[in-house]
Amino acid sequence: MDFELNHEQVLLQDSVRRFVEKQYDFDTRRKLVREGGGFDPKHWAVFAELGWLAIGLPEKHGGLGGSAVELAIILEELGKGLVVEPFLPVAVLAAQALAAAGVTGEAAQVLADIGTGAARPVLAHGEIDALGEIAFVETAAVRGASGWSLTGRKSLVVGAPFATHYLVSARTSGAPDDPQGISLFLLQPGDAGLERIDVRLSDSSRASEIVLSAAEVPAARLIGTEGNAFAALAAAHAHATTLICAEAIGAMDKALWITRDYLKTRQQFGQPIGNFQALQHRMADMLIELELSRAQLFGALAALGSAPAVRDRAVSSAKVQIGKAARLVGGQAIQLHGGIGITEEYVIGHYFKRLTMINNAFGNVGYHLDRMSRLAAV
Amino acid sequence: MDFDFDPADESFREEVRSFIHDALPADIRERNVRNYHANRADTRRWTTILHERGWSAPSWPVAKGGTGWTPMQQFIFDEENFAAGAPLLETGGLKMIGPVIYTFGTPAQHERFNVPFLRGEISWGQGFSEPGAGSDLASLTTRAERQGDEWVITGHKMWTTNGHYANWLYLLVRTDPTQKQRGLSLILVPADAPGVTISPIIDIGEGHSLNEMFFDEVRVPAENLVGEENKGWTYAKFLLDRERAFSAEIPRNKRNFALLKQIAREARRGGRPLIEDGAFAARLAQLESDLDGLTWMTLRALARQGDSSWDLPVGSILKVRGTELQQTIGEMHVEALGDRGAYVYPEPDFATGEHHWPPGPDYAPGVLADFLYRRAVSIYGGSNEIQRTIIARQYLGL
Ligand SMILES: Cc1cc2nc3c(=O)[nH]c(=O)nc-3n(C[C@H](O)[C@H](O)[C@H](O)COP(=O)(O)OP(=O)(O)OC[C@H]3O[C@@H](n4cnc5c(N)ncnc54)[C@H](O)[C@@H]3O)c2cc1C
Repeated sequence: MDFELNHEQVLLQDSVRRFVEKQYDFDTRRKLVREGGGFDPKHWAVFAELGWLAIGLPEKHGGLGGSAVELAIILEELGKGLVVEPFLPVAVLAAQALAAAGVTGEAAQVLADIGTGAARPVLAHGEIDALGEIAFVETAAVRGASGWSLTGRKSLVVGAPFATHYLVSARTSGAPDDPQGISLFLLQPGDAGLERIDVRLSDSSRASEIVLSAAEVPAARLIGTEGNAFAALAAAHAHATTLICAEAIGAMDKALWITRDYLKTRQQFGQPIGNFQALQHRMADMLIELELSRAQLFGALAALGSAPAVRDRAVSSAKVQIGKAARLVGGQAIQLHGGIGITEEYVIGHYFKRLTMINNAFGNVGYHLDRMSRLAAV
Repeated sequence: MDFDFDPADESFREEVRSFIHDALPADIRERNVRNYHANRADTRRWTTILHERGWSAPSWPVAKGGTGWTPMQQFIFDEENFAAGAPLLETGGLKMIGPVIYTFGTPAQHERFNVPFLRGEISWGQGFSEPGAGSDLASLTTRAERQGDEWVITGHKMWTTNGHYANWLYLLVRTDPTQKQRGLSLILVPADAPGVTISPIIDIGEGHSLNEMFFDEVRVPAENLVGEENKGWTYAKFLLDRERAFSAEIPRNKRNFALLKQIAREARRGGRPLIEDGAFAARLAQLESDLDGLTWMTLRALARQGDSSWDLPVGSILKVRGTELQQTIGEMHVEALGDRGAYVYPEPDFATGEHHWPPGPDYAPGVLADFLYRRAVSIYGGSNEIQRTIIARQYLGL
């Protein structure tokens, strides 16, 4: 085993870190989310130019064939900067779903175009009544004369307002929670029968609900084979869950050190509040949770290539730890700041918001504990 | 010991409930049941309605214009008021400066401030904290200097709740720079006095309740001093003990717990009701048990209110656990809302009621904003760290 980054990985980490420090300070971000709609095409161009968007794509689809470790390095740094552009939804979740579905034709082109920044697909899979359950799909696809007709509603499609394509999951057979019978379709903004309701999220990023009312989809826009999308969806979710853990680690790390610095400067009772042992112990607990999270991230990264049951057990275990840690580190970072911590103008509350969203994304602690016990029972 | 409720209290609850049911305007209820910050206009209207019934000061003695209710009756009133979706009465005037005025101030000050306050005409802002004086309040530096028959005030106050609605401010100021606690005085200042600037602070829930206030040589007449010069610290502390039984915010915790159960009944995970999920149901039961413990401790504290031989730091205990419970319930609200727990539902426009809400169930708006704002409850009113220090030092003698 080797837990050190290699030379190329160190360079990658440096380049993302430089981007965050030089181009993504808190004031720039504030302007972006208030006036810029939460997406700057110039930032996306940087992601493409520096190869970050292509890094996780298979070589046969024009990518650099990097592993999830490279993506984790990127996401940890983006997490420190609270970057709101939908890097993870596009370059991880959608990309992995396409890669795992075994694409050809138009969908293969979309996958290849992610790397250059020309395409920004997002996965429209989650539904309100799923609450983390990947196999739960009620959106229905009915076969018609020239293709498919899709009806249903997708929620919290992060990045959808800026997407060029939507990869929509729909049930072509089976009961709502049956892993069999789910298919993936390629749709685009402006398709008839597709309505997008854009939503601002707690962490200032943007998402949409996508409402499909008998949306007509040509037969050629079925991705992969009919009824067999679950494995690809599960693999994509395993990747995205692992990598959102990496993002959380970046956010927690930064929030912890901002708080550490504050404790050294804030004076009450004639001394820095960092002198108070109650606060020292709180910070020590925060560090313990953060480092256990990092340890679990390694475990999840190691398991991503394993058989689904092994992979999902490790991913769930990591997500449970990250959820627990995010709650403690995010909440106590505010607490230790006192009143200033709950103001919108100050940065620390934004880490709390992002960490809360991550805790609830791709299945919360309760869901993953449940999944671990189901997998352990097998 | 006798753990039965007094039948008189139960009929009192019925009386309060039916009054509020009939008297609370539907539009006020609609706005306040959602946990956005209460608007002054609603609080004022509701205070006026209660005043007509003689109920606008549940915690004051009859001689001062209050109801003369027992602590238990006050608690019942709070519960019913909150459960019905009525705005909270203004705590600053009701529980802080009003009683200080009628206890330590002059009868003229009572006439001038408390009587109109009971009619809903005065709204107070509390100017204690400063940028450099939070937990260590006694280090505050806002200065009041006596010049002839006036006080001249200069300084910077922080975190004034509802300062933007206030027509009067009560400030803790330094009148003797050579002393710490014993150099502080309580002075009343009109919010529109020349030299006062009040500016908003937006919280992470995107709400506006907080403000900062700047005082630039603000002049007020000498008679605006409350009680004696340099006794401000004693006045500021005197009420804390009386209010200790209310520190767990049981009425809020109960209403929010009921909302959590409602969300859990309606939300689905994998198509099945969340409340049928064993692990989630166990967490709900845990919260219910926490709430029971706090409720019984509150009932005990209500029964022993004013008993100075009982020195358990019950206010600190209730504050620590009551605030933690508020935060945990909020977390679970957001969690149970699922995908929609991440959506921002902006506060509706007060005048028109117009709102721009993303899709979601009727109970979703306000949940996220309240969850985020409630990170503050373990910070204000003596942070939970300070409360634990009180328990350890003052009671355990460590
Ligand atoms: C929503 C809200 C409403 C408020 N409303 C008002 C108002 O209307 N009027 C008003 O005057 N003030 C108000 N306040 C101010 C409030 O009283 C202060 O925020 C509080 O006293 C804490 O002070 P601080 O924010 O400066 O934090 P600090 O005192 O700087 O504390 C920072 C951290 O250090 C910890 N700490 C400090 N000292 C110690 C110690 N000795 N041992 C261990 N830990 C310690 C604290 O617990 C906290 O975690 C409000 C605050 C908030 C957040």
